[in-house]
Amino acid sequence: MWKYLLKRFLLMFPTLVGVAVVTFLLIRVIPGDVVELRLAGDRGAASQAAIDAERVRFGLDQPVWKQFATWIAGVARLDFGTSMWTGSPIWDEIKLRFALSLQVAIMATLVAVTLAVPLGLLAALRQDTWIDYAVRIFSIAGLACPSFWLGILMILTFLIVFKWLPPMVYTPFWVNPWQNLQQLIWPALAVGYRYSAVATRMTRSAMLEVLREDYVRTARAKGLVQRLILVRHALKNAMLPVLTVIALEFAFLIGGLVVTEQVFNLNGIGLLFVQAVAHRDYTLIQALVMLVAGIFIFVNFAMDVMYAWLDPRIRYR
Amino acid sequence: MRHRRGWILSALVAMVFGLTTTGPVPAAAQEKPRSGGTLDFVVPSEPPSYDAHAEETFGVIHPIAPHYSLLVRVDPFDKTGTKPVGDLAESWTISKDGLVYTFKLRQGVKFHDGSEMTSKDVKASYDKIIFPPAGVKSLRKESYRSVEVVEAPDPYTVRFRLKYPESSLLLNLASPWNWIYKADLLAKDMHWYETHVMGTGPFIFVEHVKGSHWVGKKNPNYWDKGKPYLDGFRATFMSSSAAQVAAIRGERAQIQFRGFSPPERDQLVSALGNKITVQESPWDCLNFVSMHHEKKPFDDKRVRRALSLALDRYEASQKLSKITIVKDVSGIQVPGTPYATPPAELEKLAGYGRDINANRAEAKRLLREAGVPDGFSFTFKNRGIPHPYEPIAIWLVDQWRQIGLNVKIETIEASAYHPMLKRGDFEVAMDFQCGFIVEPDLDLVRFVTMSDANYGRHKDKVIDELYQKQARAVDVEDRKKLVRALEKRLLDEEAHVIWTLQWHRIIPHSARVKGWTITPSHYLNNQLDTVWLTE
Amino acid sequence: MAITTPIDQAPATKERTAAAAGWAAVRDFARRRTLGAIGAAVVLVMLVVGVFAGVLAPYDPLAVDFGAMLTKPGAAHWLGTDAFGRDVLSRLIYGSRTALLVGFGAAVIGATLGAVLGVGSAYFGGRVDLYLQRLMDIFLSFPLIILALALVAILGNSIPNVIMAITIPMIPRAALVIRSSALTIREMPYVDAARAAGFGHARIILRHMLPNVVAPYLIMLTAFLSQAILAESSLSFLGLGVQEPTAAWGLMLRGAAVDFAEAAPWMALFPGFAISLAVFAFNLFGDSLRDALDPKLRTL
Repeated sequence: MWKYLLKRFLLMFPTLVGVAVVTFLLIRVIPGDVVELRLAGDRGAASQAAIDAERVRFGLDQPVWKQFATWIAGVARLDFGTSMWTGSPIWDEIKLRFALSLQVAIMATLVAVTLAVPLGLLAALRQDTWIDYAVRIFSIAGLACPSFWLGILMILTFLIVFKWLPPMVYTPFWVNPWQNLQQLIWPALAVGYRYSAVATRMTRSAMLEVLREDYVRTARAKGLVQRLILVRHALKNAMLPVLTVIALEFAFLIGGLVVTEQVFNLNGIGLLFVQAVAHRDYTLIQALVMLVAGIFIFVNFAMDVMYAWLDPRIRYR
Repeated sequence: MRHRRGWILSALVAMVFGLTTTGPVPAAAQEKPRSGGTLDFVVPSEPPSYDAHAEETFGVIHPIAPHYSLLVRVDPFDKTGTKPVGDLAESWTISKDGLVYTFKLRQGVKFHDGSEMTSKDVKASYDKIIFPPAGVKSLRKESYRSVEVVEAPDPYTVRFRLKYPESSLLLNLASPWNWIYKADLLAKDMHWYETHVMGTGPFIFVEHVKGSHWVGKKNPNYWDKGKPYLDGFRATFMSSSAAQVAAIRGERAQIQFRGFSPPERDQLVSALGNKITVQESPWDCLNFVSMHHEKKPFDDKRVRRALSLALDRYEASQKLSKITIVKDVSGIQVPGTPYATPPAELEKLAGYGRDINANRAEAKRLLREAGVPDGFSFTFKNRGIPHPYEPIAIWLVDQWRQIGLNVKIETIEASAYHPMLKRGDFEVAMDFQCGFIVEPDLDLVRFVTMSDANYGRHKDKVIDELYQKQARAVDVEDRKKLVRALEKRLLDEEAHVIWTLQWHRIIPHSARVKGWTITPSHYLNNQLDTVWLTE
Repeated sequence: MAITTPIDQAPATKERTAAAAGWAAVRDFARRRTLGAIGAAVVLVMLVVGVFAGVLAPYDPLAVDFGAMLTKPGAAHWLGTDAFGRDVLSRLIYGSRTALLVGFGAAVIGATLGAVLGVGSAYFGGRVDLYLQRLMDIFLSFPLIILALALVAILGNSIPNVIMAITIPMIPRAALVIRSSALTIREMPYVDAARAAGFGHARIILRHMLPNVVAPYLIMLTAFLSQAILAESSLSFLGLGVQEPTAAWGLMLRGAAVDFAEAAPWMALFPGFAISLAVFAFNLFGDSLRDALDPKLRTL
């Protein structure tokens, strides 16, 4: 098992490099240029001479492979450079937004898991009864509403019905936990409810599969208590695809909540991403993608560890 | 006689139509300003750096302008935003030949670090703007080509010597971007001001948390004793306009200095009633249609004229002003400002006449003459921004349909838009003209043949000549005539571009905010020294 | 005497029985799984509406009518008009065409390609698995919105490009989930036995692996269908999806609809309702379909 895990660990790096290369090339194909956008600003026009001069300052006149080499050398030293738009170090740009996105992602995942696992189990155990139907309708309703619409409805409800507005400025958790939660609980609920939908159905489906398995039937025939069967045999195996879904979605939450962030005015990674792309801020985009990809790849690795622990049958060369 | 009555009526309509304010007039005479309180406002975008000489976005002006002073500035109580008054300059004289501008500076003005502001600081700042050394960006230096040298003969006098007379120089010097920096700091590092704040303005810098907010506090040693009235301000960065509206509605913020759309204004008014004051003004921004003069059939001025004749601007003014940020039918200068053409004269230009059926019949005839078949199809490229680009594009396509043209809209993402225009990769495209001060020199320079921003690639010596002449004209009435001639040539005779409607600036703000007057530019009047809050 | 042998008769009987069996299955499905049947019915209605939009819509969805801006639902316009006086009902009807095009296009392509990759990866294992996994990982790391942003900025805003922008992030997700299901089969003893017996790859995949990934595939598909419709509306909300003046549900929710949410709620209510209904229907149907097709259940 250790050899297997070591291999999985080492494989993270080529993946990261692959991501870096794809990003690097992809963003340079998009038309538009950070220097031009910065110089043109609101007026939309800038002199070509000024643009050319600035491009040299950013090293954008160098051939692409050279730019990549310079950048990746920096990354190896954990120096992601400075933002092409503001000139500040990348970590300064990211740190506050990352804290916020991470917190929302964790809270949303907690909400999702708290809803999904019990509901999915319940629906599987009571398949085709009204409980099953109710759970399915409840979870699908979470999927059906477009996320931004839910957010707008929530804000309007607060304003019109309760005449109250959640805090619109981010205070970090360690500064003022109460105000922090007041702001972040709402997007966490909106997002978590939506993600519980997929997880609930996956749990239900996976449980149903496993409940029909031979070894479960055997255990039942042996006369073991129902609960024991559930917990020990069925649940462990049912959790594999469910874990896949939950882990995938968590990693996705870090950079993917663009619309939700806009609506709740959360200053998170998703919004930063959109701004960075709009500004064609190559260094920032690259850093953000590496961050999100890194999280995802790490979560993947953690999942592999789980796989290995939960189902000894899964071993591959 | 009828003509005269019509003229008076038109003038009245223009005044009311153009510059309406609902709510109490914020003149200093009416109520006594109260000291104290913090102004909370929201800013839709964040400044990339702190140096206004090197930036071009309002995200720099709104939070940072309160920390600086200008040599001269626009009168904060003048709704047209075209009257220069002294800020650091106590008074000035202009020589008879218009070549020497001499400014007397106020004495005893202190930077926030306690040192005194003298003429060398003004000279150093203007040298940076007009004669930037290599490696230093100055985005507006082209507009100061008439300046030969800036002198500081004694600590409280600054002199500008020009190569040729230029009537727009004074207003140009009042540019909101020309912050006065400290000479010693510039001498040490020309890039220092990109990441630091040190000025003589009414507020002192406290903090900037990236992606979150900007805070300033009152400058107790501000040269204008008794001001600023506010104890401080807090600018919160919010990119979503729905969030901005919610913030004002929830009374977390009091004002947003750029502008809201009509339905957003209506929302705030119906939710907060008389706790909201709405100020409106024509905006120094406008969308116009650019046609590629080297692509058929848009090289034919009959086709271009037809496209303009097809538009019922007056109906659009009524209808579109309900849903998006446009309103006035205008010429090349913002209605209500000194060089704007009165509405009655405007009606004589192609596409500005009141009889839309006659106009459209004429348009169809011109198209036939030019050999454009009925149902002719072309692509109209538009910039991917909701207000007001999308609604105007939808309106344009519908209007052109009425003269038998089948137009497809292709939307280009906002940041990829200018590269597309520069490459000339379009037949017909939406362009925009935004200024920070209403001045013909600044607004019209892009229509000169050799301009970098002449994306339609028209070549017109007459316009070049007219532009030169009006820039050098010393007599105001002469200049007005020249500007009108340029307008006629641009929009009517050659129809190089097609004007749509003037943008309309709507600022609904908390009724507690007093002392702030709207102008056509969202770059002006942001020092906040005259602003005060009621209880 | 011409005695018709049972063999001669057999084909005709077989056909009739197949048809009858088909109908019986549908009726059975409707009765036993009502929710799913309702879902299926809604999907069918949407398909019909989308296909026959030209006939069903009372107005031209692109026709601007300044005289009728923002009118309430009433006799002339059953669902009201939007900020340009365009009939909401007609735009809704044409919008279903766009939604189904984008939804089905992206979902089917995404889920299928993903399944192929997932099964292949699981079955062949070893290096194939390794490289495919890395490739999938690389694309999974890009959040959907960012990939869409980049693709749309490069390719432009047409419907095929929007479909591509939505499909590409879906493929690796499908591959991952299908692969994990397929893997549980891969390790089963009967697969090794089949290989030992000399059965070819294709046969093993088709007979043993595929039937067991059908259930997660269908779930993925219905999830993707609804995700694609939602993704299109999110992209339109951000200005990256289908563009004006095309009628599309997501586009109808943008801009003016939000501004007028209180003054003219019908502008946003009906497209939002349409999206929710579509997502609901696809999911209910998919769930019930999966239950019905579960191979293990068939033996009960």
